[in-house]
Amino acid sequence: MSLLTKNETKAPVTRTVTPRYDVRETGDAYVLTALVPGVERSSLETTVDGETLTVTGRRTFTVPEGWTAVHREIPQVDYRLVLEIDRRFNRDGIKAELSQGVLTLTLPKAEAVKPRKIEILG
Amino acid sequence: MKLVRYHNSPLYDPSANYTSLRDEMDRLFDVAFPALSTLQREGFFGELQGQFPMDLYQEKEAVVVRAELPGFRKEDLEVEIADGVLTITGHQKTESKGDDAKKAGVTTQERRVSRAISLPEHLTLDKIQATYENGVLTVRLPKSEAVKPKQIAIDVK
Repeated sequence: MSLLTKNETKAPVTRTVTPRYDVRETGDAYVLTALVPGVERSSLETTVDGETLTVTGRRTFTVPEGWTAVHREIPQVDYRLVLEIDRRFNRDGIKAELSQGVLTLTLPKAEAVKPRKIEILG
Repeated sequence: MKLVRYHNSPLYDPSANYTSLRDEMDRLFDVAFPALSTLQREGFFGELQGQFPMDLYQEKEAVVVRAELPGFRKEDLEVEIADGVLTITGHQKTESKGDDAKKAGVTTQERRVSRAISLPEHLTLDKIQATYENGVLTVRLPKSEAVKPKQIAIDVK
């Protein structure tokens, strides 16, 4: 697998959790799905810096005033996913889609690694 | 601060008579190391255990339940109340055609999650609102007039 979790060198400022994610390979792309419930489109950020792909998602829910928590299981931590992407990806064509807490990132393969047919001459 | 016995917690599953030691340990680890708990679950959506995290809040006028259920369509979620028990069920069937020419045919993926909690009494059951946003289902159950705090004017004579 060419997407590896990168060890973070700097300690994160706030406590974060790595969302659950999954990577599927299609003919011309890798499709990453990450579960980020509670994250709005505006609080989600995907950046590519060199060989690092970083996804950060902030949970937008805060307990309104006057509400008392009786039982809590949903962690109040933000999401952060750091992955290493190498030359096999075409980083200009990365597409992101967020729908009901599921982020789908399409990372197209670079031309060099796409399967190609070679015509036999003669 | 009210002291409530742990087993009387609203999210205690009424169908189970006891909580096993294993469940207790799982719970302890889930609370202490939330990231770790994702590792032990099988399957990407972790739906094999049919569980999803839930929060329960009290406010002046209502009881609010929030449940994290990412990736469902609105019509695949069901909120049901019967006999003082609120049941939230998500059931989804997705059919995807193989992207690859090699994998011809249709793959069907099904996931089903469900959780039930017992509700406090004195709720107005016909005014319940449920919204689904960013993969989080919020159910608002208004309290009935009888339990709302009321200001009673005292006449001074």
